[in-house]
Amino acid sequence: MKLWIYVLRRLALTIPVLLGVTLITFYLSYGMGDPLAAYVTEKTTDAQYEALAEKHGINEPISVQYVIYLHSVITFDWGYSEVVDTPVSEALKYRFAATLELSILAFVVAVVTALPLGIYSSIRQNRWHDHSIRFFALLGSAIPIFWFALILQYIVVELNSYGLLDNWPITYRTDAQLWEIEDPIETPTNFLLVDAIAAGSWIHLKDALQHMILPATVLAYGSMATIIRLMRGNMLDVLGQDYIRTAKSKGLSENQITYKHGAPNAMIPTVTLLGMGFAGLINGSVLTETIFSWPGLGAWAITAMRSLDISAILAYTLFSAFLYIIANLIVDIMYAFLDPRVELSGHSSVAEIVVVSLSVLMLIITFFSTDAAVLFGSLLVILLFSLILYAIGTRFLENPEDSWLLLLFFGTLFIVWSILSGFFMTIIYVSLFIYLIYLGFYWKDVREELEPKFDEFKRAAYQIKRNPLTILGLFLVLSLLSIALFAPWLAPPSEGQRDPMKMEEHWKFNFDFQPPCYFSCTAESGEENGYILGSTQKGYDIFYGLVWGSRTSLDVAVKVVFTGTFIAAVIGSVSGYYGGRVDDIVMRITDVFIAIPGLVLALAIMAITEDRSIEMLMYALIIVWWPGFTRVIRAEALRIRKLPYIEAAKAAGASDFRIIFKHILPNCITSIIVIATMDMGGIVLSLAALGFLGFGGTADHAEWGKLVSFGQGSILAGDWWAFFFPGLALALWALGFYLLGDGVRDILDPKQRN
Amino acid sequence: MLEIENLKTNFNTYDGVIKALDGVNLKINDGEIFGLVGETGSGKSVTCYSALKLLPKTGEVVGGKVTLNGEDITNASEARLQQIRGGEIGIIFQDPLSALNPVMTINEQIGEILILHQDFEIKKLASEKEIPVYKSEKWKSSPGVEFTIMAFCISFMSLFSMLGQFSFALPFLFVVSLMFLRDYLQTNVPTSALDLMVIDALSRVKLPNPKQIASSYPHELSGGMQQRVMIAMALAGKAKMLIADEPTTALDVTIQAQILQLIKDIQKEEKMSVLLITHDLGVVAETCEKVAVMYKGKIVEEASVDQIFTNPRHEYTKALLNAIPKGGKERLKVPDIGEPGAI
Repeated sequence: MKLWIYVLRRLALTIPVLLGVTLITFYLSYGMGDPLAAYVTEKTTDAQYEALAEKHGINEPISVQYVIYLHSVITFDWGYSEVVDTPVSEALKYRFAATLELSILAFVVAVVTALPLGIYSSIRQNRWHDHSIRFFALLGSAIPIFWFALILQYIVVELNSYGLLDNWPITYRTDAQLWEIEDPIETPTNFLLVDAIAAGSWIHLKDALQHMILPATVLAYGSMATIIRLMRGNMLDVLGQDYIRTAKSKGLSENQITYKHGAPNAMIPTVTLLGMGFAGLINGSVLTETIFSWPGLGAWAITAMRSLDISAILAYTLFSAFLYIIANLIVDIMYAFLDPRVELSGHSSVAEIVVVSLSVLMLIITFFSTDAAVLFGSLLVILLFSLILYAIGTRFLENPEDSWLLLLFFGTLFIVWSILSGFFMTIIYVSLFIYLIYLGFYWKDVREELEPKFDEFKRAAYQIKRNPLTILGLFLVLSLLSIALFAPWLAPPSEGQRDPMKMEEHWKFNFDFQPPCYFSCTAESGEENGYILGSTQKGYDIFYGLVWGSRTSLDVAVKVVFTGTFIAAVIGSVSGYYGGRVDDIVMRITDVFIAIPGLVLALAIMAITEDRSIEMLMYALIIVWWPGFTRVIRAEALRIRKLPYIEAAKAAGASDFRIIFKHILPNCITSIIVIATMDMGGIVLSLAALGFLGFGGTADHAEWGKLVSFGQGSILAGDWWAFFFPGLALALWALGFYLLGDGVRDILDPKQRN
Repeated sequence: MLEIENLKTNFNTYDGVIKALDGVNLKINDGEIFGLVGETGSGKSVTCYSALKLLPKTGEVVGGKVTLNGEDITNASEARLQQIRGGEIGIIFQDPLSALNPVMTINEQIGEILILHQDFEIKKLASEKEIPVYKSEKWKSSPGVEFTIMAFCISFMSLFSMLGQFSFALPFLFVVSLMFLRDYLQTNVPTSALDLMVIDALSRVKLPNPKQIASSYPHELSGGMQQRVMIAMALAGKAKMLIADEPTTALDVTIQAQILQLIKDIQKEEKMSVLLITHDLGVVAETCEKVAVMYKGKIVEEASVDQIFTNPRHEYTKALLNAIPKGGKERLKVPDIGEPGAI
C-alpha cells in the first residue's frame, strides 16, 4: 500500500518537470529561431509572410503563443512532420517501437554482461583480470559510438566479401524483399522479434536478429562500460563493509559471500544510476540509428533537424524527455524495492503539493480554454516573480552583510563572459606571469611553505608510478596537447590559406580518397607524392585535419569545462549550503534541463538556431552540461554542510562567505577536478557526435567528428582510412582524459592510500 | 580449547610494514571466560582475526601456530576454516548494525548459518515433524529473482498495452496477478524446520516475540536487539567457543550490562569457552575468570582476574588500572612505557 502512495507521489512530481520541459521546447522554437523558417523560401513575399504569421499566431503575445502550444501538446495535436509526410503522433507511434526494441535488447545485453564482469573485476582487484576488464570498460566509454559502429560495419563488409559471413546486412531493419514481397507477415506490435515469433516464422526471426545484432552491440557497449565501472566500484566499497566480515565469520565460502551478501548490496547504488544509462541509450540511439538507417525515432529526428522540420524536432525533444522521466521513475521505484531501508512514507512538503496542484490546474484550464489559461498563467508568473523579489528583498534588507551573494552573481556572469569571449586566456596568462615573478622574488618563503607538502607530492608520484594506466593517460594527454600546440609546424598550412582552421580542398593526385602513404610520402628526390594518412572525399588531407582539429577539440573542451565548472561551483555550493528555498528553485531548474537527454537538447538547439558555427556549439554544450555539474557539486556541498567542522566554523563566528569559500569549496575540489578531467574527454566526444551529424562548424572546418563522417560513405568500397584515423584520435583523446581522471581520483582519495 | 603460540602478523601499508602482532601467546581452556584487554591499537582484535584468517587484504600472518582442540589449524585449508568459523567458533562484532547485512532479513541471515552448520539437524527435525525443510512458502524464491520477474512482467505488460496490443499483455498480467495473489492462494503451509530453528535460536538469547523479529530487517531493531541477534547468530551453529570482539562498546550502559549477563548465562548453560576482547576493565572484572593484558602487539601479563586487580605485576597493567576514572580523583593518562617486557 505504501508503495503505491510512493509511486503516485513520484508520478505527480513529474508533471511540473514536464511542464518545464514544454517551456524549454517552446522557447527553442519561438525564442531562438524563426518559427516560420520551415515555410519561408527566398521567393516568399512580405504579404505572404504576414499571412503565414497570422495563420500560425506569431503576432500574438508570447504568453498566448505558449498556451496555444501547450494546448496542442496536451491534446496530442503535435503537428505534421514534413520529412516523413505523416502526422507527428503517427510517426512517433510507429517509430517508437523500432527504437524501443533496439534499446531494450541493448540494455538487456549490457546489464546481463556488465554485472558479472563488474563483480568479477572487483573480487580480482588489482590482478590482471581486473586490469583487463577495467581497460575494456574504459575503452567502451572512450570510443566514439559512431566510430565503433563504422568499424563493425567495415569488418562485416570485409567478412562478407571473403564469404565468411552469410551476406550479413549492415543497414536497415529488415530485408524488404523478404518481409514485403516474398513472405509478408502481420506486424501488429512492430516489435519484429515478437511478431516473427507470433507468426512462427524462423526465417523472419533470423532476418530481424541479423539486422539487429550490429546496432544492438554498438548501443550496448557504451552502457555496458558505465555499468561495469559502477558495479566494480560499488562492489569494492561493499566488500570492505563489516557485514562481509560477519558473513565470513559464519563460515560462508568466498563465492557465497560475493553473490549473496556482496552483489545485492552493491546493486542498490548501481540501480540508481541505471536511469542515467537510459539517457545514454537515447543519446546513442540517435547516432546508431542514423548510421544503420534504422527506422526509429533517432533517425527521424536527425532527418528532421537537417531539414528544419520544427514540429518533429519539438515533438522528439519533448518525447525523449518524457521517456527519460519515466525511466527515472521506474528506477526510483526499483530502488525502493531493492533497499528495505528506504522510507516510502516520506511526507510531501507543502511547496511540493502547491507546485504539483498548480501545474495540474494549469493543464486542466489549458485543456478547456486558452483565454482563461493565459490569464491564469500570467497570474502565476506574476505571483512567482513577486514572491522571489519579496524573498530576495527581505533577505538582503535584513542581512545586509549577505549582499556579497549579489556580487558573486554578477562576478560569475563577468567571468563566464570573459571565458567565452576569449578574454579569459589573457587574464590567465597575465596572472601566471605575475605569479612567476612573485615566485622568483619570494622563492625561499614559498619553499618553506611547501616543505610539508613535498611528502604529498612524493606520494602522488609514487602512486602514478605504481599505476601504469595513469602514466598512459598522462602520456596520451600530453602528446595530444603538444600536437595542438605545434600544429603550425606539424602540418604547415599552404601559403594561400587565409584561416589555418579551414581545411583545403585538394585537387591533385587524382581527386579524392587517396590511401595513406605513411612514411614514404616524400620521394627520394624530395617531392611529395601523397597524403600521410590519406585523404577524404573532396580531397581533404586527413593528417592536416587531425592536427588542426585537435585545436578545435581543445578549444571547445577547455572553454566548456571552465565555464561549466565555474557556473556549477558557484551555483552548486551556494544552493547546497543554503538549502531551503534557494536550493528548491535551483534544483527544479536543473531537473528540467536534465530531463532532456544531453545530445538531443544540444542537437535541437543547433538545428533550430540554424547556426552551425563552433561558438554556437559551445553555447549548446554549456547549456547541456552545467546542470549535471551543478548537481554533483550541490550534493557534495550538502554533504559537507552537515559535517561537524562546518558546525564548528559556524560556532566560531565565521561568515557564510568564508564558510563557502574556505571550507566547502576546498572540500569539493577533489570531485570537481576529477569530473572536470573526465568531462574534458566526454565533451570532445559530444562535440564530435554533433560534428558527425553535420552540426559542427562549416563543412571545411577542421573537426574530428566531421572527418569521420566523410569516411562513412566509403565503407562499402573498403576505404577504411577515411573514418579510421579521426576516430582513433577521438578515442585516444577521450581515453587519455578518462585514464587521467581515474588516476587523479586515486591520488586525491585518502581512502586509496593503504 | 584454543591455543595461540608466538603469533606474528604484519600490515603492509604505504608507509612500510607495521608489526601488529609481535609474538602473541594465549591459551583458552574449555569452559572458561577469558578476557583480553588493552588500549586501542594494541592488537586485541587482530589476534582473533589472525587466528581465524579474517584479516583484511593488507594483513598477513607471518609466523606462529594456532591449535584448536589439539588440531593445528595454522595452515588449514579454506574449506576446513569455513567449517570452523561459525561451526566451532562463533564471533560477535563491535557494532551490530554495520555487522548485519542491511538488505537481508534476520530470518535469512540466521538461516544461512544453520544451513551451513546444522543441515543434518534441520532435516531430522523436518522428517520428525513432517514439515517442509527450508521453505514455508512454496512459490517463493530469493528476492532478487522475484523482483526480476516482477519488473520484467510489469514493463512488458505496460509496453504492450501502450502499443494497444492487449492480447500480448495478457500473459504478463496473469503472472503479475498470480504473484500478488500468492499469499491468499497458499494457505495452511506449515512453518518449515529451518524457520522453527531460527525462532528457537532467537528465543535462546531471550528476544521477545522471536517470530516477528525473524521477519524484520536489521535497521528496524534497536541496538540491544541487534546485538542479541548477533549472539544468536554466533551460537546458531552450535559453536563450542565464542569470541566476543568488544560486544558492548557500541551500546549504552544499561544494555551493556544485559548483554554481558546474557553472555555469562549462555556460557554457563552451554559450557562454552568465551574469549572476551575489551578495553573496559570494568567489564573484565564483572565477567571474566582469567585475563591477559596486551600492549603494542604483545601479551605483557596473564593472570586470574583477582590477581590482576589486587596484585598487578607489570608496569603497564598498573598504569592501566590507575587510569580507570574514579569519582573525585584526578585522572591519570596511560603512559608510554616504551618496549614492552613480558612477565
